[in-house]
Amino acid sequence: MPDDFRTLLALVLVFVPLSLLSIGGGASLLADMEHQSVSVHGWTTAREFADLFAISRAAPGPGTMLAALIGWKAAGWAGAVAATVALYLPSSLLVYGAARLWGRWRGSVWHTAVERGLAPIAAGLILSGGIAVLRISPGGAAVWTAAVAATVLLLCWPRLHPLVLFAAGGALFGLTALW
Amino acid sequence: MTAETDADVHECRRIGLPAIFAAFFLLGVTSFGGNTAAWLFHQIVNRRHWVTDAQFLSDVALGRIMPGSGGVNLTVQVGQRLRAGVGAVAAVVGLLSGPLVVVLALAAAYARIGRSPAAHAVLEGIAAAAIGLTFATGLKLLPRGSARLGPLAVTLATVLCVGVLRWPMLPVVLSLAPISIGLALMQGRNA
Repeated sequence: MPDDFRTLLALVLVFVPLSLLSIGGGASLLADMEHQSVSVHGWTTAREFADLFAISRAAPGPGTMLAALIGWKAAGWAGAVAATVALYLPSSLLVYGAARLWGRWRGSVWHTAVERGLAPIAAGLILSGGIAVLRISPGGAAVWTAAVAATVLLLCWPRLHPLVLFAAGGALFGLTALW
Repeated sequence: MTAETDADVHECRRIGLPAIFAAFFLLGVTSFGGNTAAWLFHQIVNRRHWVTDAQFLSDVALGRIMPGSGGVNLTVQVGQRLRAGVGAVAAVVGLLSGPLVVVLALAAAYARIGRSPAAHAVLEGIAAAAIGLTFATGLKLLPRGSARLGPLAVTLATVLCVGVLRWPMLPVVLSLAPISIGLALMQGRNA
């Protein structure tokens, strides 16, 4: 078996179980990912892992794109794709199956009650997600203030495109840093 | 919300796969700071009306309690509502392909970007605005009206336990869900 192939296989074997165990979102995976890629397989050093984590936070998309970066370090482009597919495919198949099963009861009293009952919890989870990101942000008071200002702006002007706000936030913070 | 609305989405407005891919591609490359759900609400629910508020919230909840990334799980479900299996594939590939390229490009350029305080500040500013979008979305989706005080209390309890006290999400959701579903059943009976 060629070495490249062996590395890809190792990546898949690491990320498939993580995919199915990652209840509660990507953050719970971090410790395991570090252990596997630094201590067990030596794909990155501890320092490189911290750098890759910072990069994945700065990039758009799900926070777990860190997996792609680890795969990339281990085996280049093919590694990045293998790690991404291994991390997202199993959990996606599971949720797809669950959603299809669930859809069969559409229209029943229970189905309606469960969907209506989960809605207020989902709204609470979205707000909690915002609080969690705010808490780990290294920016302090400036980020809190800007986040609250952005919230107010979006609520007062629903037609304001969020991308305009993202650009304004980036420009404002960038200029302040250069000052 | 009801069986009819769901059928409408499937039959009357058959959305093309390229349109699904394009919408989720844009979503992927512009969702900063883990706010995929908030962005998806803005782009797919509010602007395009591809799914209803109720369907969206139900998918958010199921996406969070199942294993995997909440944003990806949500995307799978919305894609499935739009065009079944192929819709889910188009949506997820659209969502992930952009960020995959961006994150690798960033890693390749890290030697330069990593040392620039200005670049860090720009990213922080974008993140702050993205958090604002998350809050605005959550607040817009709050249960409203006097008949909805029970559901509103459930939302506040979720924010208190998960957001403020940082209790583990899964047990909190599994404890609140029966209460909230019970409330919905009673309201359904009264209505």
